[in-house]
Amino acid sequence: MARPGLGDLIGAGPRAVSRYTGTLLAVFVAQSIVAATCMVAIAVVLAQAFSHLAMFDEAVDGDLVALIYCVHHGKASLLATGGIVFAAIMLWQLASWFLVGGLNGVLAQRPEGRGETARCFGASGATTYLTYARLALCSLPGWVVVLFAFGTGLSLVATRIEYALTVPELLGPLAIATAPALLLLHVLWTVSDYARIELTLRHDTHDPGVVATYLRTLVYVLRRPVTLIHGALGWLVFGLLTAAYAYLAQGHPMYGAEGAVTLFVARQGLSLLRMATRFGVLAGQIELGRTRPLPPRRIEAKVDPKA
Amino acid sequence: MVVAACGRDRGAPRPRPMPKIDGSPALRGGGAARSPRIANYKIEARLDPVKHQIAATETLTWTNTGESSVDTLPFHLYLNAFKNEQSLFMRSSHGVMRGAHASDTGWGYLQIESVRIAGVDLTSKLHPPANAGSDETVVELPLVQPVAPGATIEVGFKFTAQLPEVFARTGYKGEFHMVGQWFPKIGVRVGPPGAERWECQPLHINTEFFADFGTYDVALTVPNTDTVAATGVLTNAVDAGRGQRTLTYHAEDVHDFAWMTDPYMDVMSGQAKLPSAGTVEVRVYYRPEHREFARRHLDAATGAIEKFSAMFVPYPWPIMSVIDPPVDAAAGAGGMEYPTLVTTGGDSVFARPGVRFPEYTTVHEVGHNWFQGLLASNEAEEAWLDEGVNDWADARVMAELYGQRSSLIDWMGWQAELGAMGRAIAGDTGPSPIATAAYAFVDSTAYSEATYIATMRALQTLERTVGSQRFAAAMKTYSKAFAFRHPTGRDLFDTLSSELGQDLTWFFGPVFHQVGRLELSLRHAGCRAAHPPRGVFGEAGARKTVTEVEAPDSGTWTCEVVIQNTGTIHVPVEIELNFADGSSKQLRWDDRGTGNWERFVIERSSRLVEVWIDPENKIALDNPTTHHYRIDGDGAAALRAGAWFGAFAQALMQIVGP
Repeated sequence: MARPGLGDLIGAGPRAVSRYTGTLLAVFVAQSIVAATCMVAIAVVLAQAFSHLAMFDEAVDGDLVALIYCVHHGKASLLATGGIVFAAIMLWQLASWFLVGGLNGVLAQRPEGRGETARCFGASGATTYLTYARLALCSLPGWVVVLFAFGTGLSLVATRIEYALTVPELLGPLAIATAPALLLLHVLWTVSDYARIELTLRHDTHDPGVVATYLRTLVYVLRRPVTLIHGALGWLVFGLLTAAYAYLAQGHPMYGAEGAVTLFVARQGLSLLRMATRFGVLAGQIELGRTRPLPPRRIEAKVDPKA
Repeated sequence: MVVAACGRDRGAPRPRPMPKIDGSPALRGGGAARSPRIANYKIEARLDPVKHQIAATETLTWTNTGESSVDTLPFHLYLNAFKNEQSLFMRSSHGVMRGAHASDTGWGYLQIESVRIAGVDLTSKLHPPANAGSDETVVELPLVQPVAPGATIEVGFKFTAQLPEVFARTGYKGEFHMVGQWFPKIGVRVGPPGAERWECQPLHINTEFFADFGTYDVALTVPNTDTVAATGVLTNAVDAGRGQRTLTYHAEDVHDFAWMTDPYMDVMSGQAKLPSAGTVEVRVYYRPEHREFARRHLDAATGAIEKFSAMFVPYPWPIMSVIDPPVDAAAGAGGMEYPTLVTTGGDSVFARPGVRFPEYTTVHEVGHNWFQGLLASNEAEEAWLDEGVNDWADARVMAELYGQRSSLIDWMGWQAELGAMGRAIAGDTGPSPIATAAYAFVDSTAYSEATYIATMRALQTLERTVGSQRFAAAMKTYSKAFAFRHPTGRDLFDTLSSELGQDLTWFFGPVFHQVGRLELSLRHAGCRAAHPPRGVFGEAGARKTVTEVEAPDSGTWTCEVVIQNTGTIHVPVEIELNFADGSSKQLRWDDRGTGNWERFVIERSSRLVEVWIDPENKIALDNPTTHHYRIDGDGAAALRAGAWFGAFAQALMQIVGP
């Protein structure tokens, strides 16, 4: 099989999005429900503390002084808000092992029809869930190294940042200091993505071990820079979409309950675009993942000797 | 690391052209002395920029203007605060001040080599005060012959000042030298005539300075590569050979002398135009990388001089020098005031145009040329008279210069007013009232909160209560009456009471002399439908039961509002009630002597929907978070905040998952 180039990987994205739009939307709706639940829970918590206080309206409308007063006044509520956000992210992290497994299964097996796609999604997600969870545990030491590199880099330029007078004086050292950590983060992130794909693609035929897959994928990713470039382009689009929204939203405050709903809807549009980007990247990674050398076959060891 | 951090190769310092003599007299417009000129100094000093050492001789001419004779002269040796960890300053600061740390290798001290009076060497007579302990920041000199009332004495010193690595307003950093509190300085006689005593406090983390007005003639011999800024005007500049030059400065009616040298600094200047005609030359000294900030400091200093001159008394000197210290010296040297010379700070990439912390620092330090430069209160005993009163004035000046709502921050749609921000971030003033000696506060936090923020809030409250214009006029009278003198808190209170035409003891007592707060809050608010009385009325045969049918709701509402003050400070307060039909009603509650709560009952054709305590935000002493209260909650803002947090959570979810 010819190894796909960067163009092929990028091209696989739109094709997958158009072919499995329903799957994408289903995952997005699940995410939106979690986000909306998070929003409502936070709104209830904040309303308990602030609905009678006009100062909170000013704080939300951008009055810095009012915001400081409200933070002082409602520390417990804001702590609870942080807890809700954290819980939502943790919940999604746990769910993501199933969802990514499902998406990988669908993109790998290319089922036809809504029912078949749903069956494939559910079966793949369920089958690989615990494997992905083990992979997450296996990845932990790498994240610790990233954190260490990040902390070390920042400590090396702390004085420069403290004494920076201009934006280039700030961003230059910051970029240099965080570049190793960010690069390592990107490498490990890409390794995790491709390891998941490998575990999905070869689950039934080779049943590869998690640790071995992780290490083999690390070597694979390092030998093929296209994996990193492709992933980086995905994050670039993700970042640009977010920045474009932030730019366009500037100077358009949306007041009142109606504004809150409008805000939520507009941000859902942004989120859908970002999710489509992630989905497209995943599709490209599947294309490349198919061409990887096969792992050692462990599946035979599981064959029942009586059979 | 620091050199690498700055990353600027400046090359070796190069000789600079001889500076031009300032043609102006030391007092703007010349004229007679404005102060009693009790302590006059002549100093010749030579800087060793490698050892960061100053070798100097000093002649002090001091006049006893009191009515009692003096047999001992006390002197401040402020630099000894940085001599070792046993000084009061180091013990009270633990070697940390405003984020700057005392250096383990750059100790500072002031060594008196000799002291002579009338040709007699009295060096051996110098001794620390009886209660000084290990602190060496004050020394006493017993006199052979007492100084009689009205008599003058001349004291000659030879001393060496070793500068510390910059910390707590003075010292060196590389080639930068900020030289403050560097020479033996006599204390101040205070107290009623005939019973005067010396005021000469050792240097503590919270205390600043207190000295008599006089004249200064200071000759500084420095490298010819250096830019020099100093108190007063430059009257002479000569080549001293060996790559050095001697610059002579003269200052009148000031109570301190500070100077700065740096081989890399440039100067930017502008003119402040005073309301009484005349101008002040404003000079900002900065290193090239600070140019953009220097412009901001120049605008702020120029504006501040104009506004302070209009609000109080005109700036009396012809020059104001603003030093913008190098970034690595800013924590130690920045944000300090001396007569006609201040150091500023706040330069940072995060202080974008519109984030006016650098401007505020400059305005605050320039403002100190009034509150304590001209109105030279005792900063050890009544620090609030310069810091807090200055902060109150700063808030006004910043609002006039940059707009009321955006006086501190106007950036990316976020706005904040200086006074309101100070009030919002105010912390606990601790167990001491505002009018506490600086060294007697439990810690530096309590000192700062009470001395700066609480004083500003107190004055703002009084100002808004009695009327801004009247209060400003009273403060102007105070400044005119006590310029070039040593006003006390009592002087300020008496002037304000007299000028505002009322006994303000009810305010000054609890606010400045007692521990406590003003804590207004809404205890209850609600309405019920009004109707004629229901129930059983009359006796025996005349007994009648009036029910809802006989006494239906009249269509009006009986609203009840209970306001309470659980604090110890009582100030008249206005209350605004807003009703569902859009109408409103103003109430006024003066709880002075009437109890700590008040119930208001109002009959109205419409329901009460909002209670707003202090709607015009006059009372700066209270926390206003709950002052504007809606009877029925409105969750729209909470929903908007929820939408924002929800979107934020979703963005993070999309990073960790699909």
